[in-house]
Amino acid sequence: MGFRELINIAWQGILSNKLRSSLTVLGIVIGIASVITLMGIGEGAKKEAEKQVQSLGVNLIYVRPGAASTASISQGQGTAPTLTYEDAKAIKDTCPSVDEVAAQYQSSFQVQHGEYNTSTTVLGTEPAYPEVRNFHPARGRFFTADDMKDATRVCAIGDTVREDLFPDESAIGKQILIRGELFQVIGVMEKKGANQMTDMDDQIFIPITTGYSTLFGLNTVTGQAVKMVLARAKDGQDLQAQFQITNLLRLRHGIKSPDQDDFQIRTQMDIMQTAQSITGVFSLLLGATAGISLVVGGIGIMNIMLVSVTERTREIGIRKAIGAKFGDILWQFVLEAIILSVTGGLLGIALGMLGSDWIGRFANWTCIVTPYSVILAFAVSFGIGLFFGIYPARKAALLDPIVALRTE
Amino acid sequence: MPNNVVELHDISRVYEMGEEPLYALKQLTLSIEDGDYVAIMGTSGSGKSTLMNLIGCLDRPTEGRYLLNHKDVFHLSDDELAAIRNTTIGFVFQQFNLLSSMTAIENVMLPLVYAGVDKEQRTIRAQFALQQVGLEQRMYHRPTQLSGGQQQRVSIARAIVNKPRILLADEPTGALDSHTAEEIMALFDDLVEQGITVILVTHDGEVANRASRIVRMRDGQITSDSRIRSKNEK
Repeated sequence: MGFRELINIAWQGILSNKLRSSLTVLGIVIGIASVITLMGIGEGAKKEAEKQVQSLGVNLIYVRPGAASTASISQGQGTAPTLTYEDAKAIKDTCPSVDEVAAQYQSSFQVQHGEYNTSTTVLGTEPAYPEVRNFHPARGRFFTADDMKDATRVCAIGDTVREDLFPDESAIGKQILIRGELFQVIGVMEKKGANQMTDMDDQIFIPITTGYSTLFGLNTVTGQAVKMVLARAKDGQDLQAQFQITNLLRLRHGIKSPDQDDFQIRTQMDIMQTAQSITGVFSLLLGATAGISLVVGGIGIMNIMLVSVTERTREIGIRKAIGAKFGDILWQFVLEAIILSVTGGLLGIALGMLGSDWIGRFANWTCIVTPYSVILAFAVSFGIGLFFGIYPARKAALLDPIVALRTE
Repeated sequence: MPNNVVELHDISRVYEMGEEPLYALKQLTLSIEDGDYVAIMGTSGSGKSTLMNLIGCLDRPTEGRYLLNHKDVFHLSDDELAAIRNTTIGFVFQQFNLLSSMTAIENVMLPLVYAGVDKEQRTIRAQFALQQVGLEQRMYHRPTQLSGGQQQRVSIARAIVNKPRILLADEPTGALDSHTAEEIMALFDDLVEQGITVILVTHDGEVANRASRIVRMRDGQITSDSRIRSKNEK
């Protein structure tokens, strides 16, 4: 007996009770649609996170001093003053895979302009900072190499700081007081928002050299300490750059074995991976939640197939009496279940895509339906039909024709 | 030497009902010649339906030997028995047993579907079978749109569409009025004339008298077996 004949018989079975078949299909439609939509939301979250990490700057390598320990108690990464401005300069001068370097040292100060004042982070850094961080002035300019050399008292301020100090006038060219020291505002940064670590807009940027001479002071042991060196690797050379920096710093700090490292290196890749693993779990949880509704839909199919087998006992008896084999009856019902669930699957995929589109449009949330989730949903709906259809179908195929024929 | 299409030797069919085994058939022996027209009579519970089911390969004997067309069917698998039902045996039931969701011609085609006949052939053969029972005008009606007699004609067409050797009819006129019953019986006469072995189960003496041979049963055994006319005599 041909496959097309079997499909045909199964299809007739479905058509013989349209309302019931539609309701059964609906269960799968809802299940698959929620899987598609929720996986889309998860995927959107992943893309969003990637975008945020990307916005910190690409190919970035973060070098931070190691942990200081006081009487064997570690005080956490970045507390030891082991990384210096000289290190940053060496990285820039000697590591061939490193493109740009911006050392930074930051501290919190009270700043004031006229009657307005606020407490904010003052970040001493280098002219390459906007380029490396992918964070540029919206108005005015950032400081230059000349400002660095002369240690001029200029600053670029973040948008939040501008709002706090200059609520109703232009900031460019004005003087502000940072811990009583006079600085001239030469630029206002673009709005960036907060990333995982800091509110990028609530900062004031000054030349790091000016910082050392006016605000930060010098560390008595190491001289000009930095809290972080941002290095940008040349395209595709992240690993080489990381390797070169590590070797250079070990050499400069006289470190003989890796477990004595007094610095820590993280790449954009590490951060990206962390973000991805978090959003991956998020996606999985969403998918699993939707999966439960799919299982419920599958049980619905099994339930209906069992009812159908019971109701059509006599039909099964007749079919067997006139020569239907075990496999003929089995496939008739299995295919019925598969057709129901696959139809539900296809409609569910369509509905899920529509739903994702709406969420994207009206809830302002990136919702991405990947081909992978579509294929998965289709395969799952097929599997559900097979899995939940086989038990009722077997029951039907094993019916004794005499008993079945006697049933009313 | 007669050509026996059905040979039953010491057949028993036992149902395990609680403590006591229940003998539906008790060491029954029966041979039926090819092309014969046999009526099996008996009261309800006499075992005649069990006998029908055994001959029709819907059931297996507990003991004994059953040669169908000289072939022992005892050890055949369920699927092999299904194939025999499909090609060698046609069933006609008292309650017609048509599938209500299908038209007359679709019902008649069903055995051919399971026999693996292609659609074109199926249509031709089903049309021919429906013509034989005089229903060519009603091919695309559903069973609910047909009278009892017409439904029984459809089921006869379904039984003969695959050219079986044996036609088994279980009280084929039981649900019909006497006039319609007469028409159905005339159809059976035609089929016998065409060489099909017809075995019918009935408790109606008038119906049984149309046959050439009457087998009476009681308590799972044959009580009398009489030939009332020679095999091919009208």
